[in-house]
Amino acid sequence: MSDVFSPLRQALTWRDLWIALAEIERELGVDVPESAIEELRAGRDSVDLARIAEIEAELRHDVMAHVHQYGEVAPGARPFIHLGATSAFVADNAGLVQLRDALALTSDRLLAAISALSEFAGRWAHLPTLGYTHWQPAQPVTVGKRATLWLQDLVADLEQIRLLQVEMRFRGARGTTGTEATFLELFEGDGDKVDELNRRLSERFGFTGTWDVVGQTYPRKFDHRVLSVLAGIGASVARFAQDVRLLQSFGEIEEPFGRSQIGSSAMPYKRNPMRCERAGALARHLCILELDAAWTASVQGFERTLDDSANRRIAIPEAFLCADAILQIVANVSSGLVVHEAVIRARLDRSLPFLVTEQVLIAGVRKGGDRQELHERVRVHAMAARERLDTGSEDNDFFRRVAGDLSFGLSMEELTGLSRPEDLVGRCPVQVERFLRERVAPLLEGYSGSEAPELRV
Amino acid sequence: MTASQNSDLPFPLLRRGKVREMYDLGDALLMVASDRISAFDVVLPQPIPDKGAVLTQISRFWFDKSGHIVRNHCISADPDEIVKLRPELAATRPLWAGRGMLVEKAKTFPVECVVRGYITGSAWKEYSREGTLAGEPLPEGLIEAQELEPPIFSPATKAETGHDENITFDQMKGVLGTKVAEYLRDTSLDLYGFARDYARERGIIIADTKFEFGTSGTGEVLLIDEALTPDSSRFWPADQYQAGATPPSLDKQPVRDYLQELVNEGRWDKSPPGPDLPDEIVESTSARYREAYRRLTGEELPDFK
Repeated sequence: MSDVFSPLRQALTWRDLWIALAEIERELGVDVPESAIEELRAGRDSVDLARIAEIEAELRHDVMAHVHQYGEVAPGARPFIHLGATSAFVADNAGLVQLRDALALTSDRLLAAISALSEFAGRWAHLPTLGYTHWQPAQPVTVGKRATLWLQDLVADLEQIRLLQVEMRFRGARGTTGTEATFLELFEGDGDKVDELNRRLSERFGFTGTWDVVGQTYPRKFDHRVLSVLAGIGASVARFAQDVRLLQSFGEIEEPFGRSQIGSSAMPYKRNPMRCERAGALARHLCILELDAAWTASVQGFERTLDDSANRRIAIPEAFLCADAILQIVANVSSGLVVHEAVIRARLDRSLPFLVTEQVLIAGVRKGGDRQELHERVRVHAMAARERLDTGSEDNDFFRRVAGDLSFGLSMEELTGLSRPEDLVGRCPVQVERFLRERVAPLLEGYSGSEAPELRV
Repeated sequence: MTASQNSDLPFPLLRRGKVREMYDLGDALLMVASDRISAFDVVLPQPIPDKGAVLTQISRFWFDKSGHIVRNHCISADPDEIVKLRPELAATRPLWAGRGMLVEKAKTFPVECVVRGYITGSAWKEYSREGTLAGEPLPEGLIEAQELEPPIFSPATKAETGHDENITFDQMKGVLGTKVAEYLRDTSLDLYGFARDYARERGIIIADTKFEFGTSGTGEVLLIDEALTPDSSRFWPADQYQAGATPPSLDKQPVRDYLQELVNEGRWDKSPPGPDLPDEIVESTSARYREAYRRLTGEELPDFK
């Protein structure tokens, strides 16, 4: 990902844009000599960033510094470089190329994360686990069903990226205020040739046309669209990471932990969820970066103001680098999550009796009990069992109390029969299987898969 | 800890049985098993060191193990925990540590729930005379100490003094109602079956036992009193068991043998007061109680302080 935003790659994209501009101008009848174009092609790779910096220090203009250094290695083309163009021609078009390439990489990372997480969800589709609402015990779900919630978020993010890829356009050659006046002059009033220039430019760089209208720049609102989608990834990952961290604090599920990894410098027994903590930290920053883009879009004045540039140079690459990093963490963690079934079961058993009080009531009424009386009995026994747990007991004795209360007429066997976890998870397994089959499988079709990324954490 | 005849704690004494005291702590009870020993229904003058702790801790062991069958009244038998829960007991700790169990208050059902897995003692006497147990016929041809399969539930009334009296199950239903009677019978049989199998693997035959039940403050049935101890049950060493004769008692046999000898020699007529026990009889009996605890739990009796 950092390669997409590297100065060298940007300089080369700029040169490709200048070469394409000269070539297409010549194709459309502008007097640019073939020899000049050949010099441009020959000198394309001779980017001297140190020299460019030197020139920029003198001229205080980055695009012109690149033009001059290019001119030094292609002197015969010097008079024609950037003909008719404004800085935004290279800066914005190259920026869009960066966005496109970065979105493609992000899409790959999402697929890798979705692939790893979907395997996990499928594998544990049937394992009951305590559900939580308000972070308080609630009806059981399955481990795979909860993972499918995380998965669904990532799938939505991928769909958003695909939408962006369809929506995005090239800026093209439009002039300083987006009027195309300079090019109209260059083509001696032939507007069709201006359109043709932009059509060919878009095609050369793999875009499906240019924005309908632009100022000097492509709409900064699109930057915000991109960063909002990336921030969406941040939100999805932050939530995944937080759930995993909580599950690890319960001892139910742990992120992978190296055999010789050290959890704490002071507490050697510790196994900290550091990967997910890192993902959470970066995801939070990623979510914040969306605000930069929103604000930048909101302050663009008239045909353009330059208060976008310095902010975008930080916000956009950082956002993609954050998204890249956290998606790798998701793929890595998901492919190595350790599930402690015994702990999951023990924690479930502790709360389970309280979660089936309605079933206990119904069963008691079937045995001839009075619903209202039994309700009060249930309340008394539940409070007593709860108090016992609160004073340090490990096991929940609610069923034993009910079994010993002969107004219910229910045996321990009947009571435990009411609370078989696998009978209480509703349609969790079906939901997981259906989501994997109908939503995930089509996305992964043709996806070759990649090894879970090694993390340097 | 020195052997104790009486605990005499500064709390209202709810009940003093042959070998136990029950103190009222307001919303809970402290049940203290003394080291007193009785034989032929007579309490003997010499206490047996560690006997009370063994009884209490064996009860605690079974209470922990049998919670899946029925809830019981035990809150704790660990002195540290008891003092933490009831600080007012800290000052008298040496008088009850190990022998004391903090228990929930319960309303006791007036029926003792006896389960017999082997035919011996008074049951054998009745059977060999009448062919019945508690008035109900048993299969013919049983021999002394033969295993009863399935075990037999034989309830008895609780007599404040003297012998408990066997009653029929129908009589029990008359006292407690059918629902409660059936629940207590089924629960007693479940508890006995569970304990019999567990103990047999550890070399102990629990030939018969007596449970007591009550109703808790929240209205459900609780297993109370002591449970599955050598005092409430007959413990036989499995390696000395053979149907046809009643095996020696795992715990009390030295006392019984000694007293029987006195009776045979005409030196004691089984009426109170009981005769003094020689030191070696006291010591070997104490060792047998500790051995019962060790066999059952796989651990040495802790040194309670």
